[in-house]
Amino acid sequence: MRDVPLRLARFGRALRAQGVATTLRDELDAAEALAIVDRDDREEVRRTLRIALKVPPADFEAFDQLLGVFWHGELEVKPVAPRRPLETPAIPRGRALHWDPDTRRMASEPGTLPEGERPGYSPDALLRRKPFDQEWSGRDLVRMERLLARLARRLATRRSRRLVPTRGRGRADVRSSYRRALRTSGEMFSLARRTRAVDEPRLAFLLDTSGSMDTHSRFLLTFALSLRRAAPRAEVFAFNTELVHLTRSLAPGKVRLTLERLSVHVPDWSGGTRIGECLAGFHERYLSRRAGGKTVVVVLSDGLDRGDPALLADAVSRIQGRARKVIWLNPLLGDPRYEPAASGMAAALPFVDLFAPAHDLESLERLVPHFTGSPRNRIHSGGAAGGLGGVRRSTPPLKDAGWP
Amino acid sequence: MTPEIQDLLAALEAEGYIAEPATATAVFLAREMRKPLLIEGDAGVGKTELAKVLARLLATELIRLQCWEGLDVQTALYEWDYPRQLLRLRMSEGRGEDPRDVEARIFSRDYLLERPLLRAITRPDQAPVLLIDEVDRADDGFEAFLLELLSDFQVTIPELGTIQARHPPYVVLTSNRTRELGDALRRRCLYLYMEHPSLEKEVRIIRTHWPEAQERLAREVGRFLQALRARRLVKSPGVAETLDWTQALLTLRQDSLGPEVVTQTLGCLLKDRHDLETLTPSEVASLVTLAREESPR
Repeated sequence: MRDVPLRLARFGRALRAQGVATTLRDELDAAEALAIVDRDDREEVRRTLRIALKVPPADFEAFDQLLGVFWHGELEVKPVAPRRPLETPAIPRGRALHWDPDTRRMASEPGTLPEGERPGYSPDALLRRKPFDQEWSGRDLVRMERLLARLARRLATRRSRRLVPTRGRGRADVRSSYRRALRTSGEMFSLARRTRAVDEPRLAFLLDTSGSMDTHSRFLLTFALSLRRAAPRAEVFAFNTELVHLTRSLAPGKVRLTLERLSVHVPDWSGGTRIGECLAGFHERYLSRRAGGKTVVVVLSDGLDRGDPALLADAVSRIQGRARKVIWLNPLLGDPRYEPAASGMAAALPFVDLFAPAHDLESLERLVPHFTGSPRNRIHSGGAAGGLGGVRRSTPPLKDAGWP
Repeated sequence: MTPEIQDLLAALEAEGYIAEPATATAVFLAREMRKPLLIEGDAGVGKTELAKVLARLLATELIRLQCWEGLDVQTALYEWDYPRQLLRLRMSEGRGEDPRDVEARIFSRDYLLERPLLRAITRPDQAPVLLIDEVDRADDGFEAFLLELLSDFQVTIPELGTIQARHPPYVVLTSNRTRELGDALRRRCLYLYMEHPSLEKEVRIIRTHWPEAQERLAREVGRFLQALRARRLVKSPGVAETLDWTQALLTLRQDSLGPEVVTQTLGCLLKDRHDLETLTPSEVASLVTLAREESPR
């Protein structure tokens, strides 16, 4: 094989064009590696390049498709169906969304939707959920933020296994104590102590933006925005027919800007729901890759799903397997007559650690004392029975077993 | 295929490690280019085992650092032997020695406890294999520190000065992908993604580890595992589970799979309640039939 550097440069460029991250350094490694292997064996070249260019398994397909560029030294890059990364703004395919200054909420273009066709919508329902259709004063927003900050802390704070020096109580730190004693020529006057560090909360919020949640869109947005300020490390996702990573499109404090961005970024706003697929995607692309076992996952959805309930149950159970806790906040639960009978909701419930209403500030406030920061307090509705409007729990919360 | 890689494949096999060509290529490149090798893959595909076999192949010492969240400098790199230092201090006080001599002595290499990373760069005779296991479990701070160590192979101890590696170690890092590793760390290494073995490989692995297992049982176990991994599982069984299961079947004196014995020993393979619950007896039976299809009656 001739012209290895030129071929490598072209290949690297083609890979980057497909979203496979490679750097000049990787190409140098690849050149070095190719110098010592059999360059006429296509399989070996493939293996070598994968190893030297550090291609992760998610990119294997794109890599293999582009290998021809390298092998044949072609000038033209073969068109490959581009992958759509999680964060690329998608072209809105649903109804156009705009900010209605009169009602102060997100609305579709007037006239595009015949009245009564909106799922879960009736004037009656609107009245009951009035708090969210009213204008929110600055004071309310501040209150919301404070509340969410408290919630976020309670939800996701826990003690790490890392030990940090402390002036208070904790276990004796022999090493530091001796070190300290050296100063006083070996006389140990005081013991140094260490205690377990407090982990920063890690939270992932999944907001349902489907049609049935329309009446709550204002609440959802305020929630998301306040959350971004209160817990900067929280990741926010929106889902309806597909999952969108919102974290970076949320501009704290700039409601209008955010709304504009959202209408571009969230495809099919107010469209149907495929909760199962979206949650499965969340597990596969985010939770199992980036978040590890420390994240508390909060789903804000009414559970009205158009997909297969088995798929949803499977997705939620997988998420529960990975996450520290799964919390499902359901705005419909604020309605005393509501029972989680929707097949999707019923399927997901067994795998949810906490199932609680979230339809106004008060319901959120009632949530705070239920979080002690201990891992996995299993509280959820056992089925049809349960308190009205309040947090439903089937078993008393378990005490934190804790590490010795 | 490069002759050296072929030799390496054979050598790995002689050590009881049945490797895919990609694995041998990665080991070969890491050895020749003297770069750390980062191995990712599901639990139980043989990541840690590869490092152990590599140490045996190179006839060198294996130094292992198991990562965990609370890993700190004192457990990873070095620590001063404080009790001994104090004793020494007391003794010299009684004898009225020059304080400067005492200081020089108690902060010398004699009083330094070597932890794995320091040990790996201070071997006097030959380069050891340094296995940094489950690096994804350590926190980001440790990753940054590793980066520094892996680029220069030197460590600075304030009281002693800089220690430069005489023989840079062969470094193998493993990760279970519980979190995404930093890009900088990945770029500094060669990268190998290990997959579950193919059917042929798995049968050979079983036969190598348990020579008493007959070809028929090994093939059935292999096919059963391949079919099982094709299902959506919370935790797919790895090679380690395959070998455990084969051992269990051998202990129960089985020479072929049957639905009953499979159901009884399924706990060797599936270690998640959800997985065990979703696999109904009838599905087990159909998997067994599938696994036995090509076996002679």
